Amino acid sequence: MFETLTDATFEEKVLKSDKLAVVDFSAEWCGPCRVVGPIIHDLASEYEGRIVVGEIDVDENPDVTAKYRVRNIPTVLFIKNGEVVDKQVGSVPKSVYKSLVEKHI
Amino acid sequence: MAFEIDQSSFRQFGSLEIIAKQVVEGFITGLHKSPFHGFSVEFAEHRQYNTGESVKNIDWKLFGRTDRLYTKRFEEETNLRCQIILDNSSSMYYPVLEKPSLEHPNKITFSIYVAAALINLLRKQRDAAGISIFSDTIELHTQAKSSSVHNKYLYTELERLLHPISPDVRKKTAAVDALHQVAERIHKRSLVIVLSDMFENIANNEDLFSALQHLRHNRHEVVLFHVVDKGKELDFDFDNRPYRFIDLESGEELKAFPAKVREQYLATIEKYRSELKLRCGQYHIDFVEADINAGFQQVLLPYLVKRERMM
Repeated sequence: MFETLTDATFEEKVLKSDKLAVVDFSAEWCGPCRVVGPIIHDLASEYEGRIVVGEIDVDENPDVTAKYRVRNIPTVLFIKNGEVVDKQVGSVPKSVYKSLVEKHI
Repeated sequence: MAFEIDQSSFRQFGSLEIIAKQVVEGFITGLHKSPFHGFSVEFAEHRQYNTGESVKNIDWKLFGRTDRLYTKRFEEETNLRCQIILDNSSSMYYPVLEKPSLEHPNKITFSIYVAAALINLLRKQRDAAGISIFSDTIELHTQAKSSSVHNKYLYTELERLLHPISPDVRKKTAAVDALHQVAERIHKRSLVIVLSDMFENIANNEDLFSALQHLRHNRHEVVLFHVVDKGKELDFDFDNRPYRFIDLESGEELKAFPAKVREQYLATIEKYRSELKLRCGQYHIDFVEADINAGFQQVLLPYLVKRERMM
């Protein structure tokens, strides 16, 4: 399922989840984020029920952005049991995201 | 700078790619399409601007719209990595000339110009180039990169080789070790171009072939340009008068009448060549004979064909 995350819902939906969470840090004005967005949506449907997939706007949610020191967007964090297990900065092909999901799922 | 590489001399090959493309189009029809596609991501990410950083990559349009300072980061656009392996042993300095030039090159000068021309072509196509130079050891090994700074560095290194070495310096070919080492160092799938006369100790044939096979690992594509002075080295075209033959690598001398040794020499060299060709065929290595007196086309065309097949 695809979630739109905020500072308020991040802990509940991501950190407390027992599944792997894939979080896409993006912004509405960022071109490369528009390339990554649909890929992340695809992952949500492909791994339905097995992972948590979400998107978070860095401008509207500065707390989470600062906490994870996200300075580049798009950045995709892979979080498991409340810990960041992997990070992918910049837009890369879908296969890269998929291989990271497979690695940590 | 008497030995500077004259870049204009191979600029003429710019259009060669187009000609070559037309030539090879018919030739390669029916080949399986490679599963390895070059991909290029142009604009990959936005990064927060840090004070003191160069302002040239700031996304000013974004700043205009949102008052945010972000820089744009671009992925390097590379389709192909090419590693050029150049033999710099003493035998490559045959024929010994006082001033080798583009018109009358010796084997090393020819190979340097070929390498420079290939780098020039690679640059045009935004492909990454690296060189490895070896004699009895690896003298230089650079990773393949496509930046212009890196290419300038490669030209400088090649120009340095154009300065003739004294005939007294004897550098043996250790192609086996060199090829193994280079194969170990290239990690990503690349096009590997070897420019060498392959005058390795002929007793070591099996080692040489296993080194060539090693290069094929990691799915590298390999083209071996066998650089020769065809008239002298393959056809043994000498007048019938006494000659003093000197082995450039060991300094060993032999006085002989060409007519007397010709038959045996031709038989030996032919056996070696056909063995080399056969093994290259078995390992799917493109074997191309490059005569130093026959110009660049013979070398650049096979490269373009190979590249076309890789993409």
